[in-house]
Amino acid sequence: MSEYIMSERGSFGSVLVKIGPGETFVSESGAMFRASDNVDIDVTTRNRSGGGGLMSGVRRMMAGESFFLSTYRTRDGAPGEVALAPTLAGEVALIECRGGGRWLCAGGSFLGASQGLDLDTQFQGLRGALSGESLSFLAASGVGELLVSAFGSVQAIEVDGKLTVDTGHVVAFQDTLEYRLDRAGGSWIQSFLASEGVVLNFSGRGTVYVQSHNPDEFGKRLGGMMPPR
Amino acid sequence: MQYEIEGNPDYGHLTVTLDPGDTFIAEGGSMAWAADGLEMKARLLGGFLPALIRKIAGGESFFVGEYSHPAGGRATFSPSTPGTVASERLSGGSLMLTAGSFMACTPGVRLGLKFGGLRAMFSGEGLFVLECSGVGDLFFNTFGALVEREIDGEFTVDTGHVVAWEPSLAYRLQGMGSLKSTALSGEGLAMRFSGKGKIYLQTRTMDALAGWLTPFK
Repeated sequence: MSEYIMSERGSFGSVLVKIGPGETFVSESGAMFRASDNVDIDVTTRNRSGGGGLMSGVRRMMAGESFFLSTYRTRDGAPGEVALAPTLAGEVALIECRGGGRWLCAGGSFLGASQGLDLDTQFQGLRGALSGESLSFLAASGVGELLVSAFGSVQAIEVDGKLTVDTGHVVAFQDTLEYRLDRAGGSWIQSFLASEGVVLNFSGRGTVYVQSHNPDEFGKRLGGMMPPR
Repeated sequence: MQYEIEGNPDYGHLTVTLDPGDTFIAEGGSMAWAADGLEMKARLLGGFLPALIRKIAGGESFFVGEYSHPAGGRATFSPSTPGTVASERLSGGSLMLTAGSFMACTPGVRLGLKFGGLRAMFSGEGLFVLECSGVGDLFFNTFGALVEREIDGEFTVDTGHVVAWEPSLAYRLQGMGSLKSTALSGEGLAMRFSGKGKIYLQTRTMDALAGWLTPFK
């Protein structure tokens, strides 16, 4: 089993992953910032189970993730190290996946996954497309560790009942929860006027990881101040 | 109604516990998560005409959200930029707030739009400032850290760094130093405040970040 040394808190979270001999670890392509010299990096569009190929890359891209995943393994039978960090400033978190259900991870929040997790893309159908937000999730199933990153601080909310979360603040959640896309405040017109985004209405029991800040809102604000290309 | 600000100084966000019957005003799009049953109505900020002018001229959001929770429950609001969330209790006095810094308020706070005139146009603060008065709690946010100063006399601030000030302070625009040094140093226009009162500043500006990033496009 891989070991993790987490720098979780503060503005610039990162993770050091210690890979055992014969183990593999997968990350978002581009998330690695250093690795020990016995680590081989294989960049692939394939998911963990070896299936998918090109189309799984396309699907991941549509989910707001990179087209490629990086797979790390050591080549000399000795342990190795890979350090990962997200693009935006913020905290990182480790989610223990114990099987029995999948974890869905928002596009842009996926940092890495241990051997034993299968990664796939979960589309939200027409409603997601109509909402104008990239509403696909990376689905992790199996037993292992999922690493996620947040823009701002991250917190886990245990839902027992109902919870509403703006899609821009969703990091990851268990699909033991039922979820439904809706407009904040219920009315599409009202929420359009107030430029309030699309929300996920969760119900049931499970955990939702949320981030304090919305990357798209920050991007729009900053982008609006830059001159046209 | 109860408030809790968490995450300062880097990632400030605001959690409000709404009792049945409470309403709360927040910048459109700022709701992050909430107990099920939160309701929202779009409201025009400062009446229709000022809101329309503000939208056209300033590109600021036309509407704010009026949130309520008929069964009672918590809602968390988050600004679009990382930084500090600050609160100010108004009890009859008023506070001038640059429009982009407004985050939320209780319904007893009156939000009036003030046309800032030519000096506002050149200040980089947008054409309008919000005059917040009445009785209630006002929440605003900064990009970077928040600096609070009591002024008695004169005080000079680079324009983009001003967040809020008490109206007992007067200000005028001026270049810092000569025209040549203004042009060469990148120190743009400054706001020169005078009088006695409180001022809030932010240690970073989105404009400067956008300006720095632009050549990399």
